[in-house]
Amino acid sequence: MLSPAFAVDVIINNANNEQFSQAPNNLRAIFSMRTRYWPNGEKIRVFVLPDSHTLHKAFVKEKLQMFPHQLRRTWDRMTYTGTGQPPVTVDSIAEMLEKIKQSKYSIGYIDRRVDDAEIRLFDNQ
Amino acid sequence: MMQKFVYLIINKLGCFLCLCFLSLVVNAQDTDIKITEEPVMAQESSSWTTLKKVWHEDIQFHGFFSQGLFHTSGNNVYGNSKNSVSAGLTELGVNVSYQALNNLSFAVQGLYRRAGESTGDWGEASLDYAFFDYTFFNSSAVRMGLRGGRVKNPWGFYNETRDVASTHPTIFLPLVYFDRSRALFLSLDGGQVYADHNSSVGNFSYKLNFGLMNADDDELLMAVTFDPTVSGQLKGEPSLVTQLAYESTGGLYAIAFSYAHANVSYTPGNTLDPYTGLQLKFNSFILSTQYNGEKFSLVGEYALQWNQFAGITLIRPDSEPISEYWYVQAGYRILDNLQVTLRYDSSVQDIHDRSGRTFHQQTGLPAHLMFTKDIVVGLRWDITPAWMVRAEYQRVHGASVVSGLDNTNIPERARDWNIYALQVAYRF
Repeated sequence: MLSPAFAVDVIINNANNEQFSQAPNNLRAIFSMRTRYWPNGEKIRVFVLPDSHTLHKAFVKEKLQMFPHQLRRTWDRMTYTGTGQPPVTVDSIAEMLEKIKQSKYSIGYIDRRVDDAEIRLFDNQ
Repeated sequence: MMQKFVYLIINKLGCFLCLCFLSLVVNAQDTDIKITEEPVMAQESSSWTTLKKVWHEDIQFHGFFSQGLFHTSGNNVYGNSKNSVSAGLTELGVNVSYQALNNLSFAVQGLYRRAGESTGDWGEASLDYAFFDYTFFNSSAVRMGLRGGRVKNPWGFYNETRDVASTHPTIFLPLVYFDRSRALFLSLDGGQVYADHNSSVGNFSYKLNFGLMNADDDELLMAVTFDPTVSGQLKGEPSLVTQLAYESTGGLYAIAFSYAHANVSYTPGNTLDPYTGLQLKFNSFILSTQYNGEKFSLVGEYALQWNQFAGITLIRPDSEPISEYWYVQAGYRILDNLQVTLRYDSSVQDIHDRSGRTFHQQTGLPAHLMFTKDIVVGLRWDITPAWMVRAEYQRVHGASVVSGLDNTNIPERARDWNIYALQVAYRF
């Protein structure tokens, strides 16, 4: 756990404890806001860190196999044409954790080294 | 019921806003009940926090602002920039979107824009888009729906967000998006049918817009007539814009094909108006391709436009020139937030008169009003995710795309000229 690079974990507030695939294709569809609902029909609440945040960059590269500017292009098109809503941006990893805990059916990511036993409750890995 | 709803929204955008807020109130109450029945989150029990929750999660506000500074030689851009400095381009937009139900949402964007003489010193405020979005089919792979109201036209890569500075790499958009036809191609009042398909090889999206374009624009009228004394107005007739787009998984490659068919008529300013009977038709397609890598990006777009000018044979014979536009643009990210862009851009008003020689012989006006070629070098620095500044230099050969309102002395338009530009932009 002392790896110098960020170790990214996707975290989900998964109220129904449904099976969820973390395959890049699936995560990409969610974080690009293309897949907007969980299989049970509930809206997916997506939280992200700012584009310039080191953990965001690591998450986008490792988990989505994309680059932040590609994701930004997709979000901008939705945001400024009214055809969709981009994810909610939080300022810090602590805020991310707080939001995910509070919001049912939400998804986000944290640095695995964050020391918080409660995370496991929300992480179905 | 649905038909009546569509009719209301298309015809009364004011009613649309009322509906939007009405459904917010209804939905807020709805959510309130749900949470009372199912008190999962103890801290969310008061109605105020419930309202705040709805506010935060289903309603979003976003906006953008940009200000440009221009210095040019030869011709004016955005005001009086020739051998001077003009701060004539300001763009300010605010939007709200509301996800009322899983399959119904609303979105409105207001735009304030000041762009040289075409908007006057005080600029113009407009309703950029305002529509409902009803999804009638939604699965994990396919989404289909209908948008009604004022919708943006999907034309090429940049038209839908052309007024949002941070969404395009250079201050000036490529020539194919030139400002004189901005008003016409920007949006239309009517509807859009859309379909998205996510597959393992990428995402396909299709959009079909149908309705009335906004042709009541002085810049467009001036471009068509070359006559500052023209007294009537152009009026949009039923038109369509459609786009089929593909994006590879992750967005590394993107390809789009867009087609537009625009009809415009003329409302005379008085009984003796010589332009009475003027009819315009534009058929155009644009093929867009993009490679968008980690450091390096490459964009190319090619467009042909068939223009029909008819009905004013006393002034000039009917004509059907074909315009051609293309550009190649390369970008390199020196750092994640520092990008350099290089573009070669070409446009000709009539592919059968590329040099403008015939035009010059027929009208006596300069041949270089019929083409523009330019080289653009730009540097963009995203200081934070919200703030951006950029600088740009353009060497321009030709004057086909310069604003007729900022350069009223048509015979004096320069053929070879320079543009130096700076821009600061903010978005949220």
